[in-house]
Amino acid sequence: MTSRGGHVFKLLCCRVIIGSSPPHGFRLKFGGWSLNAGGLFLMSLLFAFPTHAAPTADLLFRAGAEAYHNGDYPAAAAAFRQSAGLRPACGTLQNLGNAEWETGQIGPAILAWEQALWLNPLAEASRNNLRFARKTAQLESPDLTWYEAVSAWLPLNGWGWLCALSLWLVVGMGLLPGIFRVRKAAWHQAVAAFGLALFLLSIPAQIGIQTRSRLGFVIQKDTPLRLTPTAQAQYLTRLAAGEPARVERVHGHYLLLRTNRALGWVEKSQFGLVTQVR
Amino acid sequence: MVSPMTPIRRAAFWTWNSLAVSRAASWTAAVLCRCGCRPACESARGLAQSKTLREIGAPRSSAWLLVATLFLFGAGTPLFAAQTSTNQSHDPLMSLMLSSPSIDLDSPVVPTASFDPPIIRPGETATYRVMVNALEQSIELPNPLPAPAALKLQRGAQGEMLAFTGLKLQPRTCFNFHIAAAQAGQYVIPEFKAKVYDREVTVPAAVLEVTDAPPESVTPAPQLLIDLPDTNVYVGQSLRAIIRFPASPNSQLFLPVQTPPIQINGQGLILDYGSLRQHIEQMYRRPGMGSSPSLVYEASITPIAIGSLSLSAQSFVGNRFGGNTIVISGPNHMTFSGGPPQYTLLESEPVTLQVRPLPREGRLPGFTGAVGMFTIEPPALSSTEARVGDMLKLTLRVRGDANSNLPRLVAPPVPQLNDWQIFAVPSENLPLPAIQAQGFASFTYALVPLSTSIRATPKIPFCCFNPERGSYVDLSIQPIPITVKPGPAGADLRALLRANAAAVQPEKELTLSGLDSAPGISAATLVPNQNQPWFPLLQLTPLATFAGLWAWERRRRFLEQHPDVMLRRRARRALHRERRLLYKAARTGDGPRFAASAVKAMRVACAPHYPAEPRALVGQDVLELLPEPERTTRSGQTVRRFFAVSDETQFGEIRRDPAELLPLKPDLDCVLEQLEAKL
Repeated sequence: MTSRGGHVFKLLCCRVIIGSSPPHGFRLKFGGWSLNAGGLFLMSLLFAFPTHAAPTADLLFRAGAEAYHNGDYPAAAAAFRQSAGLRPACGTLQNLGNAEWETGQIGPAILAWEQALWLNPLAEASRNNLRFARKTAQLESPDLTWYEAVSAWLPLNGWGWLCALSLWLVVGMGLLPGIFRVRKAAWHQAVAAFGLALFLLSIPAQIGIQTRSRLGFVIQKDTPLRLTPTAQAQYLTRLAAGEPARVERVHGHYLLLRTNRALGWVEKSQFGLVTQVR
Repeated sequence: MVSPMTPIRRAAFWTWNSLAVSRAASWTAAVLCRCGCRPACESARGLAQSKTLREIGAPRSSAWLLVATLFLFGAGTPLFAAQTSTNQSHDPLMSLMLSSPSIDLDSPVVPTASFDPPIIRPGETATYRVMVNALEQSIELPNPLPAPAALKLQRGAQGEMLAFTGLKLQPRTCFNFHIAAAQAGQYVIPEFKAKVYDREVTVPAAVLEVTDAPPESVTPAPQLLIDLPDTNVYVGQSLRAIIRFPASPNSQLFLPVQTPPIQINGQGLILDYGSLRQHIEQMYRRPGMGSSPSLVYEASITPIAIGSLSLSAQSFVGNRFGGNTIVISGPNHMTFSGGPPQYTLLESEPVTLQVRPLPREGRLPGFTGAVGMFTIEPPALSSTEARVGDMLKLTLRVRGDANSNLPRLVAPPVPQLNDWQIFAVPSENLPLPAIQAQGFASFTYALVPLSTSIRATPKIPFCCFNPERGSYVDLSIQPIPITVKPGPAGADLRALLRANAAAVQPEKELTLSGLDSAPGISAATLVPNQNQPWFPLLQLTPLATFAGLWAWERRRRFLEQHPDVMLRRRARRALHRERRLLYKAARTGDGPRFAASAVKAMRVACAPHYPAEPRALVGQDVLELLPEPERTTRSGQTVRRFFAVSDETQFGEIRRDPAELLPLKPDLDCVLEQLEAKL
């Protein structure tokens, strides 16, 4: 069923790409073949996502939702976790957080909701759940710098694509009129200026994405923060599940974390980064 | 069973209390000694060694306690104040830390085990106590205990206290087990090993005798008693729990030696230690044995969980005073035991409390969790006339019955209104027992009118749940008529109006959101694109495209400036084409085509040099491009011959056979090589 579904999807894409194009809109013609804009978009989807994984992730998502509605929260959490492992999606992570919360796993729940927001900052349900969880468990939110706050305006890869596209837009608007011997018009310069502005705006956001990708959350309750990366190390303090921290360094099985109050080492298994589905 | 407290008993009790305080004072004296308060200590020492105190039979340590008490509350006060003023540079926290006695963890651990009582009837219960002078958390007893199979053993209370041993506080931990035997006999719990501070210690053996005829002098094990006025209550409803200490057979008081004096065990309950009250009652011990005084504590307990809650009480009791026994004679005989310190952990039977939830139906606005019998007095307003922006004070008194938890009563919530700015003014910091004693809780609100259209103070909704009626009672604060006159519209008022407008927006209660019905936005991975290797590589595509376009443009401009390059290129291509045709004709022996292709090839190869149309060139033009010596030799002759045959074929009357040119192919190749080299 999986491979059949994938083939159907590909055939559908091919039909849309190669078939009749709408009377209006952007078309590219190569000899007897033509590509429309929708076709190009679908083609990009075709190559962007592995089609064989999509139905499995969807099945797991549905199984998780069913288990959740039946009150079997551990099974729901397991299904959502597998689904997110195959294809991280905002809704899957949001539901994973709910299931973890219902099983009393505060750390994994907060991590899942943060990952949902990491994918889609406009996910209001995840934001609301984080507020609820932090108020209930008396936890702090991560302290974000201004460029990290800016980086949270767009979805995870939005800034990367915006940066690249705006850069090439500026380069294109500078080069193409000369190459094609078109007289430089005011709109060329306006588009180039707009692209440059977007590019400059996206640079701090890119830095923010980079620094936020080192952000993570304590998974286990009362996780010891060690003075040295050893099993017999002195405990500086204990971290509550769901407490935010930033990874400064990695040493073997230990991570050097900087929390809002202290700096110390924590076992890798006791900490989850926003960039890793556990 | 319980008699009221007589003046003599009250005096005795206060005596005991002051002696207890003196013990704390002795610690203070010891601290002062360490701090270097020599004059105060000298005087204290002198008093302690005075004859008067020894004459009344008090041991030396008791004398010290009394001296310290006097020192603390009397003569010592000025000295203490003077000393404080001279040591202002000392860190008070550090001083406090240094002055507090340390906990004794170094003394050898000596466990004891005993049965209370050591002799019982079959079917009766005795308490098996294991006492260890170590911290509770560090003790690991074997589970189960090595008791004989005939003994029915059940775990009871366990607790820890700190006993003052002069310079240090020694931890004492006690484990109680309830033991019963069905048949008569002598039962021994043998000595066993327990782990204390990660070391093994031996708990000695203890013997229990079960007999049908125990001696009269053996009395049952003392127990605490819990009395609850009601065991079927609503959640949040406060109860006055009465904890009675047992009456000792020899009229000795069982005095708690721990702080706080009692401990309530149970989940889902709040014990308000601030409401703890104590008195002495006369308690009957056994039929025919008369009564003896016993200590009674009252405390406010509030259940905060729903369902069946079990609670029990426990307390360490012992002799508070070292030395001799203190006896107060009179109609109400009372004895304070002396001798070496003894500590016993007493406990009560568990009591079950049925806790019902508050009904949702009929809940009125302004409910803040008040459960009990409350009434409200008419509110008092500071003035009935005010200007816009002036502050008015509204005072409210809520009265409650003895069982209601007035100190913990939460004030009615402040309503958010457009025309009023209302603040709850923090109440006076009265001690909780004082609030309970005065019988009412007082709340004050600051009201600021923001409009002249106001005719009365706002109604402040408030209600309580009456457990007797099982319904909510409206206690709302009713409006009071008021006249509001215009006032100066200053910046303060504008700020208030703005703040009010913002505050009127109700705060949304946070709840857990439901499940998403679809996976939504997804990605192949949570790692951002910029951190993946393919993303920078992908940027090479537009880079290469733009570079190619730029290079193409540069080339195009170059060719526009140098048109001969294109002519030569085209000529070279045409020459190659003609040569291919030429070779093909040579292979097939097609003389006319061979001759035509040869001439055409020579023409296209020479055309860019003039420049000229290839068809316009003649043999002489080709010869001029050959090197000077070659023009008259074989190459020149070949050129002439080809052009001659071609011209004669095209224009002459006598037509020569072009096939005779076929053997000249090598010479023609040589010529064409030379011409191509010049392109």
